[in-house]
Amino acid sequence: MRPLTVFAIFSAAVWAGDTDTFLLRNVDVYAVVNASIKDGAILVVDGKIAEIGSKIVPSKGLRIIDGKGLRAYPGMIDSGTELGLAEVSDVRATVDTAELGVFMPQLRALVAVNAESEHFPVARANGITSVLTFPSSNGNARPGGERQIISGQAALIHMDGWTWEELAVNRSAALHLIFPSLPANQASGYAEAKRVYDRELQQIDDFFDQARRYRIAKVGGAPGFKTDLKMEAMLPVLEGKLPVAISAAREQAIRDAIQFAGRQQVRMVLLHPREWGKTAPELKARNIPVILGPTLDLPLNEDDAYDSSFTLPAEAFRAGLKIAFGTFDNEFVRNLPYNAATAVAYGLPYEEALKAVTINAAEIWGVRDQIGSIEKGKLADLMLTTGDPLETQTEVRMLFIKGKQVDLTNRHTRLYQKYLNRP
Amino acid sequence: MQRRQERWKERFTRVHETLTNCLPKASARMQLLYLRHTETMERNRRRAVLALLRNAPVLKSPGPQYPRRPFAGCIAVPALCWVLGFGAFASAQQAIAIRDATVVTVSGPTLRKGTVVLRSGLIEAVGPEVASPADAWIIEGEGLNVYPGLIDGASNWGMPQNLSPGGMGRGGRGPEDRPGATTWVKAADELQPSDPRLERARSAGFTTAAVFPMRGIFCGQGSIVNLAGERAGDMVLAPRIGQFLTMSQAASGFPAALMGTIAYIRQVYLDAGRYAALKEAYQREPRGIRRPDYDRALEGVLESKRILLPANRRVEIDRMQNFAAELGQPAILYGMQEGYRSIDLLKKAGAPVLVNLRWPERGPDTNPDQPENARVLEMRDRAPSTAAELAKAKVKFAFYSGGLDQPRDLQKAIKKAIGAGLPRSEAVRALTLAPAEIYGVADRLGSIDKGKIANLVVTRGELFDDNTRIEMVFVDGKRFLTAPETTAPGGRGPVTNRGNER
Amino acid sequence: MKRLLSIAALCLAARLGAQTILIRNATVLTVSKGSLKGSVLVRDGKIAEVGEQIQAPAGTDVIDARGGFVMPGIIDCHTHIAVDGNVNESSVSVSSMVNIKDVIDPEDINIYRAVAGGVTTANVLHGSSNAVGGQTVVVKLRWGRSAGEMIFAGATPGLKFALGENPKRSGSPVGNAAARYPATRMGIEDTIRDAFIEAKAYKAEWDAYNAAVSNGEHRMPPRKDLKLESLKEVLEGKRYVHAHSYRADEILMLLRVADEYGFKIRTLQHALEGYKVAKEIAAHGAGVSTFSDWWSYKVEAFDAIPFNAAILQNKGVLVSLHSDDAELMRHLNTEAAKVMKYGGLSETDALAMITLNPAKQLGIDNRVGSIEPGKDADLVIYDKHPLSNYAKVQKVLIDGTIYFDRDTEVNAQPLRAAEKQKLLDKEKTPK
Repeated sequence: MRPLTVFAIFSAAVWAGDTDTFLLRNVDVYAVVNASIKDGAILVVDGKIAEIGSKIVPSKGLRIIDGKGLRAYPGMIDSGTELGLAEVSDVRATVDTAELGVFMPQLRALVAVNAESEHFPVARANGITSVLTFPSSNGNARPGGERQIISGQAALIHMDGWTWEELAVNRSAALHLIFPSLPANQASGYAEAKRVYDRELQQIDDFFDQARRYRIAKVGGAPGFKTDLKMEAMLPVLEGKLPVAISAAREQAIRDAIQFAGRQQVRMVLLHPREWGKTAPELKARNIPVILGPTLDLPLNEDDAYDSSFTLPAEAFRAGLKIAFGTFDNEFVRNLPYNAATAVAYGLPYEEALKAVTINAAEIWGVRDQIGSIEKGKLADLMLTTGDPLETQTEVRMLFIKGKQVDLTNRHTRLYQKYLNRP
Repeated sequence: MQRRQERWKERFTRVHETLTNCLPKASARMQLLYLRHTETMERNRRRAVLALLRNAPVLKSPGPQYPRRPFAGCIAVPALCWVLGFGAFASAQQAIAIRDATVVTVSGPTLRKGTVVLRSGLIEAVGPEVASPADAWIIEGEGLNVYPGLIDGASNWGMPQNLSPGGMGRGGRGPEDRPGATTWVKAADELQPSDPRLERARSAGFTTAAVFPMRGIFCGQGSIVNLAGERAGDMVLAPRIGQFLTMSQAASGFPAALMGTIAYIRQVYLDAGRYAALKEAYQREPRGIRRPDYDRALEGVLESKRILLPANRRVEIDRMQNFAAELGQPAILYGMQEGYRSIDLLKKAGAPVLVNLRWPERGPDTNPDQPENARVLEMRDRAPSTAAELAKAKVKFAFYSGGLDQPRDLQKAIKKAIGAGLPRSEAVRALTLAPAEIYGVADRLGSIDKGKIANLVVTRGELFDDNTRIEMVFVDGKRFLTAPETTAPGGRGPVTNRGNER
Repeated sequence: MKRLLSIAALCLAARLGAQTILIRNATVLTVSKGSLKGSVLVRDGKIAEVGEQIQAPAGTDVIDARGGFVMPGIIDCHTHIAVDGNVNESSVSVSSMVNIKDVIDPEDINIYRAVAGGVTTANVLHGSSNAVGGQTVVVKLRWGRSAGEMIFAGATPGLKFALGENPKRSGSPVGNAAARYPATRMGIEDTIRDAFIEAKAYKAEWDAYNAAVSNGEHRMPPRKDLKLESLKEVLEGKRYVHAHSYRADEILMLLRVADEYGFKIRTLQHALEGYKVAKEIAAHGAGVSTFSDWWSYKVEAFDAIPFNAAILQNKGVLVSLHSDDAELMRHLNTEAAKVMKYGGLSETDALAMITLNPAKQLGIDNRVGSIEPGKDADLVIYDKHPLSNYAKVQKVLIDGTIYFDRDTEVNAQPLRAAEKQKLLDKEKTPK
């Protein structure tokens, strides 16, 4: 009953862990950006990494955490979730991801995040310290409604905090745009579908143009100017401060999305592509980062190679793209690292896979200066593992978010304990 | 004139139908009256025909001098039109000799210079040395090819479009509700001689079809019918040739899945076997036995042993072969889009199959950027080669129209099979003798042999050649001319040749 | 394309089938008898010998595992791949007349993908829309063969039951559809009990008839009712019950109904709250076939925990891990690793959950599930340990025939693309 003892240790650690200043030592440090240090130490002061080295002499009275036999990594970042917005995906009342309306840039995921969601402790128990959570209707039309195109603003949040304010790392990390798509199958009715598609593309451009006029009117102090929340939400996008995260799966949509971003001169992040086709060089040329969906996925088309989903990340790497991973399913956030591992099995260099769940994500979501690696001055989002975090059998023994040691128990471990003890 | 003819015809049909419907219940006297009535009408009609024959020079002068050009027949007097159009007897009884034509008998060798004599709706004689009877109307056959009339192996030509007494809408609560079953419906009973598709089919050289109700799961029983006749009864050659089955599902209710449909069919055949046994036992000794409940669905099942089962993919061919064997029913599989890669199975089973002439095609309005799966592409590429492969493997097969009814489309489809390697003679066979054999009517149909029904197609040029023209068809010895094509070659305009008598 | 694959498979089959193969230079994970570094000798589709040093007889085909790992073919106790048409005959509360065996589609590409993920045997189930569902069948994933050839000969067929949210959904339909009983878990119990009352009467009728016939009497046989026939087989122990279930209450309910009517639940499928009633499950003797870590997708899955398998196993229940999903099916090996992480089971325990345990649950452990002489040569060769996320399936053998070979596959990929392009070009060119 090894895990039992582990939990006991955790619990004890939590009670003692009311301070965010400590020295972690006897630990192998995998900083991600720099060379790893065997048997090193990390000094955390006020929740931030103050020093990293092979030997740090603790000041008197400093709390010391012994990491013997463990490895320290930066906490992992899942770049595509609905965490905090949806609890039981099948029960509408617990789901706050899909608002009405076609263009809804003013919606902010952050304010609807339920800090008490059972998903947070479950996910962080496996070393996930931050996630991008975003509103999304998946482009599905509501009955009688149009397909949603802009679903709102995604937030990068920590996995521990009392309120959503405390969870926030980047309150508005991206605007989520669900790119229209043509029907994937070969059903007839293409001409009509294409007409709708073209109209939707036009609508997107129109919306951005409208926002641009609004900005001119606002900056120029046009008479009769009225504040419009939708348009206000677009300003940071137009000013290049906020990237547009565009969901596009198939080659055609990706191509058109790239062109759209170029036309409108917005910073684009591509979300969840399922194939590259000929788009990879274009993505590279325009420095568009990519959030890959689960590697453990079926091929998109019947004729695709059986391992086409497995090799997608390696192909991105070979094309020189900056990639991060998202699970795009709350239930499996904890399995984020395994998607990266499969990508390694099928050709992605290990270091890149690790970056894709840490520093790359931080960089793409504009918080490279705060998280994503073990570097001096960054927040102490750390996980202490028994081994390679991309391997299933590896256990996370300790987790720190902003230097605070986080409880690793969760709904699952509690039920486990409870029913282990059922007479 | 034409209107009068129609009025008469309509009135006659109505009387006939009324009487027919009440016939079983009618008194002997009523029946007698009815028979007298019909006899009188028939007598009147014959009289009219004879009068016309006397007055119509074209038909009065049998002999080599007429017609020099076979198309001279077109200039018949208008009066002849309605008589012949209405009275099949009239022309059928007149002997016709097609002389010195290339006669593709299908059953035997092709005669380079042969004569076919038709009389009373039958082939009276055929051969190289056959003399034209003195009373025969002669058609100079030089340059003409004579084939047996083409047969559509499975069709709904002549079926009312809305025939779906049990068509799949709401399903049942289980097999016991017999959803989608109209096993008792016979195509012969539902025929509509006025269906415009009959005329179009004749223009494509078809004289006969195995016609089936095609909606539901147990759709009903097919009949072999000729594609001309004033009354449905005239057209029927064989009323019960098999039960047409589909693997469809109900819009709501049972069955909702393919496996539900299969289980349902299986249960029905189990029930039918038991039903037959119960009925037999009851027949032997009704006393002391509760009578078996009458089940019209099972009655229909018992009426037709042969079943037609759908099978396009190789998987389906395999599945349906096994299913038919399990049910113990002689089965004809229809569809065969992947027949080209199922030859081993088909050869092993040795059962005949029906090949759909409606070859799979890319939809007209599809996304050009989304190529289909290789297997779909391969199927589209190779489906038309199925016939050639079947012929090579000596698997008996017939073609069926699969909903095509425009002569041009049918021609094109057959040509596609020939283009994919099917010998022309085999194509002809698959549309003549093969379907006749498959349905057990080769003793009367499917080849040009003495005593068989005088269904012929006469062409200038070889059948299915690009420049070939179908000059006329004979149905029950009655001649139908086909108008020259009115649309430009390659055009897709409606081809509605006036294929009837002039 | 598919045929290209199968042709490749058959070519290999022709080369290797019905003869002797030696897989050498491997770590052999036998599952039943530990691991060893050595070889596996396959003869006529069966495992002939396992050992550290095996002399290859003359004419043996040698497969060099290149230092990789050999394990028994993975057995998935719950899948819906390879099914033509709807997997649910959802129109009725009791759909036990339908049979998945009738609609096996051996050309479903997911079969090949599953083989490429190391799966060699699968329990193909009817869906979960009915309290008493359709008949199920065990197949070997002999890609390229016919439906009949895929059936696992001798494996006991099953009947799907379903409890909880899915079967009661029809009672509260969305839109205008008519409601169908049941709408509650109470109604589900009622439906199952009712079905067995009917089945018992049916069985009695047939038993009486058979007795009369064996006494020389001539009688008209009772009506053969396909719906009741499969339930009768359950009562006779000739057909296994595989019951989709989630919550502890419904699991317990079914066990008690089974006790009442005198039949056994062979496996509880999913049973995500099985851990709450582990001892009751163990007492009944039911196996559990579960997800490694699925949870939260519906209310009845909100108490699901990844420790489920471990608790159940520790309390004496035979547990397997299944996929119920064409994608998950491709990496059951790494799913198995999760029972080591969550609950601390051993490596062998983990591997058994996707091999020997499901084999036992399906009653085919005399044939498959471990690497032992005499068993079917259903083998998977990995480059790394199969419980590692970095492992790739290299070769898969079923009955000693190679059905997947990664090298062949990778080489064939461009050929297939070219083949497809040719077809596309051909279609574009007007004839």
